[in-house]
Amino acid sequence: MQKHRTRVVCTALLAVALTSLGLAGGAQAKLVGNYTKFVQCPFSNLEVKKCIISTTESGEVILGKKTVPIEKQVVLQGGYGKAVSGFAPFFAAANGITLSKAPQNVPGGLLGIVPDASSPFLVKALIKFFLENSLTGVSSTLELAKPATEIVVSENNLAAEEGVALKMPVKVRLENPFLGKNCYVGSSTSPIIWNLTSGTTSPPAPNKAITGSGGELEFLEEGRILESKNAKLVDNAWSAPKASGCGGILSFLVTPIINSQLGTTSAGYNTAILNNKVFLASAAAVRKNNEENP
Amino acid sequence: MKKTRKARTAQGDEKTMRTKATALGAALAALAVLCAVFATSASAAPAWKFNGTSLEGTETIVGAASESSMTIPGLTTKCENFLYKLTIKNEAGTGKGEVTELPLFNCTTNSSACFVETIGAEKLPWASKLTTISSSNYIIIEGVKVGIYYEGEECVLGETLVTVSGSAGGLLDNTTETATFNSTTLSTTGTELKALASKIAWTGVFPTEAFQWHREQALTAS
Repeated sequence: MQKHRTRVVCTALLAVALTSLGLAGGAQAKLVGNYTKFVQCPFSNLEVKKCIISTTESGEVILGKKTVPIEKQVVLQGGYGKAVSGFAPFFAAANGITLSKAPQNVPGGLLGIVPDASSPFLVKALIKFFLENSLTGVSSTLELAKPATEIVVSENNLAAEEGVALKMPVKVRLENPFLGKNCYVGSSTSPIIWNLTSGTTSPPAPNKAITGSGGELEFLEEGRILESKNAKLVDNAWSAPKASGCGGILSFLVTPIINSQLGTTSAGYNTAILNNKVFLASAAAVRKNNEENP
Repeated sequence: MKKTRKARTAQGDEKTMRTKATALGAALAALAVLCAVFATSASAAPAWKFNGTSLEGTETIVGAASESSMTIPGLTTKCENFLYKLTIKNEAGTGKGEVTELPLFNCTTNSSACFVETIGAEKLPWASKLTTISSSNYIIIEGVKVGIYYEGEECVLGETLVTVSGSAGGLLDNTTETATFNSTTLSTTGTELKALASKIAWTGVFPTEAFQWHREQALTAS
């Protein structure tokens, strides 16, 4: 009896192990060629109609008085479904990293001192060393404020260079040893909503209209993949809540300082300019490529 | 011989007269040059002519493209039957008109994944006008708008409305009675067509033939 039980348990464990291996194999895509970049597309979900990987290569985010140039690439990837009323629901990346976390240096760091462009190199280097080092330097990281399902995409608006092409709830994490781990502008309950357009914005004053671009297109794999270079998505009509949680136990002291550094962050004072390289693919084509290369 | 005051005055009058005549001559010359310039400008807006006579009233031109394709890099769409109907007239000596119909049939792509589900001209009529650039005559079609729905499960454009819009300039050849549209003619006329927010290439050769009052008459623009 004891022997029989042991055998059953062993068989069950083996089955679990094999199943796990099988699942791992299923999740591991075998994409080749131009399709490899879509490895994190949740293409096995049949509701996903398109796979997307959009790499923001440059641009800037202006939050109140602070301008943060985008120097490190930020990747948005996943899939989206059939559009309803022009907007398609988004599906998170297979590895869960829908929006990559790329800390961007905040020029001037904690004290917000920006050397004059005409300053000698040595002066610039010293300011950078003292104010933008790992101790006093500040980085800002863009994060999704809500689940990826809250993102919506409009292909038609992107192509027509009008209206909202990508709506994304985000928050900005300010990082610095003094600021602690929970210094954010925006949260899941009070996110910053970016209504990014490839067309022209109509922001409240003092911001002025800025214009994006759908980019230059090229089809790959006989129309199964679309590459868009220099796609420029912009929004300068968004508002941001005050920073919160900065400075750990000294938050009551530090957070007001950060907010005074940022200045007014209501609509008309903020800007997002994202210069992207975008790859789109038919999810069915990605699935087929995966099946053809077991 | 010493010149008298009277003689000097007469000589002065003569000089004044000569100066005036010279000035008048110069003015006339300038006028002539201006006329010539205006004449050149006038020829920058050619008129529609049948058998060498300027068109009075309106005429309907119909035809079918002998070849036509639209290309976004990597994807070319062709239509076997690319018909058009153009109403033409002359206004103040300048050829004008309107594209009133543009039925497109049997359209295909060079892709094994993308098929043309529907294609059609939108917001007709489209205005047209004639112009001359570097002694060549062009027809410019404005307000072009063509909607294309592609299908195909594997096509990245599946279920996406692609709208081709903009303006297009084509070279008129009086000898062959055709209008040719390509990247050179679009560039020369400063026109462009866009689709999916990108500039696209469009080629087309359209024979021009009167369908109403001037059948079988040679249609030229000059």
